[in-house]
Amino acid sequence: MDDEVTVSDPSRYRESRRKRKSADIAQALGASPVDVAALRRMAISEGGLLTDEIRCRVWPRLLNVPLQVLDQEPETVERENNKDYNQVLLDVQRSLRRFPPGMPDEQREGLQEELIDIILRVLKRNSQLHYYQGYHDIVVTFLLVLGERLATALVEKLSTHHLRDFMDPTMDNTKHILNYLMPIIERVNPEVHDFMQQAEVGTVFALSWLITWFGHVLSDFRHVVRLYDFFLACHPLMPIYFAAVIVLYREEEVLECECDMAMVHHMLSQIPQDLPYETLISRAGDLFVQFPPSELAKEAASHDSMATSTFKDFDLASTQQRPDSVLRRRRRQRQAALESAAASSVVTVARPSAARRFVRLAVMGLTVALGAAALAVVNSALEWAPKLDLFP
Amino acid sequence: MGSDDSYNFVFKVVLIGESGVGKSNLLSRFTKNEFNHDSRTTIGVEFSTRTVQLDNYTIKAQIWDTAGLERYRAITSAYYRGAVGALLVYDISKHLTYESAERWLKELYDHADPHIVVMLVGNKRDLDTLRTVPMEEAKDFAEKKGLMYMETSALDSTNVEAAFNEVLTAIHTKVASREVTRGSISAVTLSNPIGPTSEAQEGRGGCCKSA
Repeated sequence: MDDEVTVSDPSRYRESRRKRKSADIAQALGASPVDVAALRRMAISEGGLLTDEIRCRVWPRLLNVPLQVLDQEPETVERENNKDYNQVLLDVQRSLRRFPPGMPDEQREGLQEELIDIILRVLKRNSQLHYYQGYHDIVVTFLLVLGERLATALVEKLSTHHLRDFMDPTMDNTKHILNYLMPIIERVNPEVHDFMQQAEVGTVFALSWLITWFGHVLSDFRHVVRLYDFFLACHPLMPIYFAAVIVLYREEEVLECECDMAMVHHMLSQIPQDLPYETLISRAGDLFVQFPPSELAKEAASHDSMATSTFKDFDLASTQQRPDSVLRRRRRQRQAALESAAASSVVTVARPSAARRFVRLAVMGLTVALGAAALAVVNSALEWAPKLDLFP
Repeated sequence: MGSDDSYNFVFKVVLIGESGVGKSNLLSRFTKNEFNHDSRTTIGVEFSTRTVQLDNYTIKAQIWDTAGLERYRAITSAYYRGAVGALLVYDISKHLTYESAERWLKELYDHADPHIVVMLVGNKRDLDTLRTVPMEEAKDFAEKKGLMYMETSALDSTNVEAAFNEVLTAIHTKVASREVTRGSISAVTLSNPIGPTSEAQEGRGGCCKSA
């Protein structure tokens, strides 16, 4: 799309940028302590983490999972009398399409066994978590990139943080997160919002996008992992911003659709496979900066469609790990300062100029990283605070 | 989809039942004559349509496929609204999926039109050697509950066409005997003619465009 940079030889230019980024990532990984903030920026910025090899080294850093887990023998899980086994088996057996085409059956079957083990292991160790269909779509992505041991550790961390709300006994919190979709759309394009409201389409078309981080609906694995780079580096609500950006990107199709619940639902749930991912990622980040969850939650609370007004961003974090209130307050002050700074440089969302996007991406990297820090994906918010001062 | 063809009625039909009984494949067999051994887990709801001729009417069947897992019911049950037909599917080789039929029925009646046409469908008939649900038992249950009944195989196509057509015909019969006219459009429901009706609607309707 409009990401292309016009130079005499674009492919050579891209290649040199890739090399530079790859070197930057290596440098951030080699720093002592590891420069997680820089890694986050790399994961978000154009091209993401480039290769699965790099992802193996960076994803654990983004979730603060120590690499020592590689030395641990994964514990075996009893399958008999396991309350989740039958359902997990049913879903894993039906996930053939998530494996690379051309992979020998034997190898795929081995991975499917590992997939079942990882899921059952995480569920067993965390009795507060409940399996949902689509969870296997997330886990298979980690398994294919990282292998069983690292995947287990990262999925466990993710399940108690980013995915925690989806794993409640009921779908209430999931529905609540879906409720963020329409307010985001409304801010950017009231016409699309009003049309969707009139059609009474609801938000269920985006359910599988949200709870599988798009793994269930995108057929090209490269696109899936690119999005995972982005989401792993961001606030847990980022997938709903990305969902909004997809709807907004399809503005014309939406408005041309028959204004009927079924028709609009059907059209929106068929996700185009050739989306301009880099452009959309950058827009999602922009929207997050412009309309942070806290602002939407406030607005949504006064709205009838919101079932409860008790939702707070912090509820997304695990109950065990929370930054203390002082750090939280400090974060809010920083975020408020950043947002006001961002607001002056962000005028329109739909058609940003290249120069403006550059500025905004820099701001976004910072703000998004702040969002993640607040959710204590790293062990403590303290670890984050000094690093943030290093940003330009 | 299907916006270029013309039809007399749209019938909304829902596919319900436990996870893995073959709802999505019944649907793809009926609407596309396809069977997929690697049919993805259905997350949320989706629908397909097929247009059929009944008497001199063109009927557009809009068939909604739903996720079977319990936790999704809070989301999917909202989509029962406006349905005039339902196929309650179980797997003849898995008795547990049959045992939950009663629960599904309650769920359906709680959220859908009480006059909805319901068929109990024993799918995977091709797995007869692994059968755990005797046909007589299911038939008796269906009779007791006032449901239609059929055994199908989405895999080898047995009775798939027949099952959907019987349901659509039954809906059509009900609709034909209860037709009401209101204003300039003729709309039909299975229940009493009060309140807004969009369940089985004549012609094409749009709320914003060309209405």
